[in-house]
Amino acid sequence: MTRDKFISEIENLLEVDAGSLAGESLLQNIQRWDSLAVVGFIAMVDENFGFTPSPKKIAESATIEDLMKIAGLHLEG
Amino acid sequence: MALARIRGIRISGIASAVPDQAHFPSEFFDRFGKEEVLKIVENTGVQKRYIAPPGMCASDLCVAAADRLLTEGKWERESIDAVIFLSQSPDYELPFSAATIQRRLRLPNECAAFDVNLGCSGYVYGLWLAGSLISGAGMRRVLLLMGDTSTKVSEEDRSVALLFGDAGTSTIVEKTDKKERFTFVLGTDGKGEQSLIIPAGRCRKPTDETTRVRREAENGNHRSEEELYMNGAEIFAFSLAEVPKMVRQVLVASEKTVETIDFFVLHQANKFILEYLAKRMKIHGDKVPISLDEYGNTSSASIPVTMTHCLRDQLSRKKMDLLFGGFGVGYSWGAVTCTVGEIVMPEMIFLSLRDMDKKDAQ
Repeated sequence: MTRDKFISEIENLLEVDAGSLAGESLLQNIQRWDSLAVVGFIAMVDENFGFTPSPKKIAESATIEDLMKIAGLHLEG
Repeated sequence: MALARIRGIRISGIASAVPDQAHFPSEFFDRFGKEEVLKIVENTGVQKRYIAPPGMCASDLCVAAADRLLTEGKWERESIDAVIFLSQSPDYELPFSAATIQRRLRLPNECAAFDVNLGCSGYVYGLWLAGSLISGAGMRRVLLLMGDTSTKVSEEDRSVALLFGDAGTSTIVEKTDKKERFTFVLGTDGKGEQSLIIPAGRCRKPTDETTRVRREAENGNHRSEEELYMNGAEIFAFSLAEVPKMVRQVLVASEKTVETIDFFVLHQANKFILEYLAKRMKIHGDKVPISLDEYGNTSSASIPVTMTHCLRDQLSRKKMDLLFGGFGVGYSWGAVTCTVGEIVMPEMIFLSLRDMDKKDAQ
């Protein structure tokens, strides 16, 4: 999965406009980033990356970029 | 993971009861806002649930279900060797509720009676326990009661306020000469203690003036330490890690496949989790009956409630290969494959306080 695709998956999940999020977007400023979204994110990573991400690490994430790191995407550049 | 095979037992009747008072998500529009409530409902799938009024306990619902089942199946009360009450909402701190239930159901004094404290995994554990009493301890007929009333839920906590429904159920497990086999897989991971917990009110943290006070928690939710806390993300991560694994293991151990099982009756945690798990395990949605839209998450009662609500006609008429899967509080999980059918299955019982008064007066 590319970084762009990842961001568009997150946009889908949060039901926000395409192109409204970027790597540096702060999760605390995204109103729809709530506990239901976290569950949706866990499912998204499980489905696309084949593992269950740690809810604790997700809770510690500040930006979309941090979520990419959880998914292992930062390694692909 | 514990694996157990029990032969020579059968489920011969199931009955379920809920309080007659229906509750709807719209009751929370003022508190959380309509949009937020509808978003929660879209995720959980709970459109309606039944909640016990003050004065109605899980044991009352179980007794109503058992009474109807014993009557409809024409089982002699003297033939019940043991009654198990599996619940997280007993009548009293003590005595245990099964003793009271023995009296109320007019079961013989020779009957063994005890409580078990388990939640979402309870139906599978309960069948395993009842089956073990028959196959290993010489009993012939066991009455397995389970259910909860979720009185300790804060209506100011949106993570739990709209999810749970109350129910009580009754299952008869008995000895049979048939060779049919129940295959169980059971597991536990106590690391889940803090993910689904009512921290105060028992021995670890007794009630005091501070434990009763509701305080602001995460996401603007409010609850006291005597009310249920649920970490949905942790529960979901746990379910993803353990449920597909236990289902795979029980299928292999019982030499069955996703195709040969007629129905996967799973604990009704919430709609999103159930649908995602089914997709992950490549089980067609038609094989995973859903009752939570109508009754909510009814804890240990959710598997029998789902059978009463969705499979009653079929189970009354014919035998089917079923897989039951429970998972949650503890963490604790269990799955069983078995053949069930041509059994006594009364319609869903809707219990009112007035019905209870009438019964007591008899």
